[in-house]
Amino acid sequence: MLPFSIQLQDGSPVSDQILGAVRKALLTGQMRAGDAFPSVRTLSQELRISPTTAHKVVLLLKDAGWLNSRPGIGMVVTVPDQPDLAERLAQITPECRALLKEAADLNLTLNQVIQHLKSL
Amino acid sequence: MITITDLHKRFRKTEAVSGLSLEVPEGQVTAFLGPNGAGKSTTIKCLLNLHRPDSGTIEVMGGDSRKLGPAQFTQIGYVSENMELPLWMTVKQFFNYCRPLYPNWDLGFEKQLLTQFDLPTGTKLKDLSRGMRMKAALLSSLAYRPKLVVLDEPFSGLDPLVRDEFIRGLLELTEQEGWTVFVSSHDIEEVQRLADRVAIINRGKLALDETSDSLQARFRAIEVVLPDDGRAPVNLPTDWLHAEQAGRTLRFTASRFANEESLAAALRGAIPTATHHEVRPMSLREIFVALARAYRLEGK
Repeated sequence: MLPFSIQLQDGSPVSDQILGAVRKALLTGQMRAGDAFPSVRTLSQELRISPTTAHKVVLLLKDAGWLNSRPGIGMVVTVPDQPDLAERLAQITPECRALLKEAADLNLTLNQVIQHLKSL
Repeated sequence: MITITDLHKRFRKTEAVSGLSLEVPEGQVTAFLGPNGAGKSTTIKCLLNLHRPDSGTIEVMGGDSRKLGPAQFTQIGYVSENMELPLWMTVKQFFNYCRPLYPNWDLGFEKQLLTQFDLPTGTKLKDLSRGMRMKAALLSSLAYRPKLVVLDEPFSGLDPLVRDEFIRGLLELTEQEGWTVFVSSHDIEEVQRLADRVAIINRGKLALDETSDSLQARFRAIEVVLPDDGRAPVNLPTDWLHAEQAGRTLRFTASRFANEESLAAALRGAIPTATHHEVRPMSLREIFVALARAYRLEGK
């Protein structure tokens, strides 16, 4: 069993999909700081992916500051130090602008868009 | 782990492999793909010293494939779709027979795989279903923890559950030092999540050898919308494969995609009248189909 939800799709690279799923689990609180994170072996076996890919995912998560290795325990989830809210929101502003424009073109209301975002 | 250099093998008038060179790196899963009759099994049989190459050399785990013998075979696991098994034996007798052949046979691992594969030990191999028989063959090739696993079309005809168990069993070996898998298939679907690298053989020659990541990075499905009565130019860039127009929509496969900006620039250059376009990543299977089509066109 993996502590995050994932349904691998064909299309984008497997490692990108796992990173996305892990980030989402951390955002939604499905996984929290201090939780144990599955080993490369478990990831590979549960998802039926090559251990090389599983290893890459763990390294990427470590680099991004989401994982820490604790001797004797294995990988533990950590939450990296965050820049302040304004800065983080600024990072997603271009995507949000594009989304709103697209939504307006499609004649969707802001509430409909928010509902949809929540359902993702 | 395996280095194949200019391999040739002919059966009477049929040239099965004609100048294949390929490197299989250690510690990765390499998928060896190609249509039926492309030369996959012949290559595998040559590298395991089951066929003698007409010319060319194959190095396996640092030695010449023609000198492979019992000592090396205790480090290599081989499962083939048409493997000859002693069908008169029960599953238990079969493993009893295999065990003494491998000094590194791991009894604990055998037990674990036996439970995992749910094999009936008292049944004769000839009375097992195809899937069960393949699992027995895989178990007999994994239990001694080989460094190199060579699988020749292992999944054909297996139902999804058995295929899943098979892959899981294979991944049980991953703790092994220098764990390397070389798996052939005519269908990428079976191996697309497992493969770190994809090697494609076509008409006995290597057509492609690349990591899955790099393939998925450089291939994109593109849809371009043309103005009313617009026709796409005849001479599109050569790295745009299989361009087809239906109504106002032009579809093609970009095989050297780098980023959105350079694609947009190339589109402006090639089809200035295009009104807008969409870019979509492709699955390894879609990429394989696009490549296979391109090879077939080349052959004509």
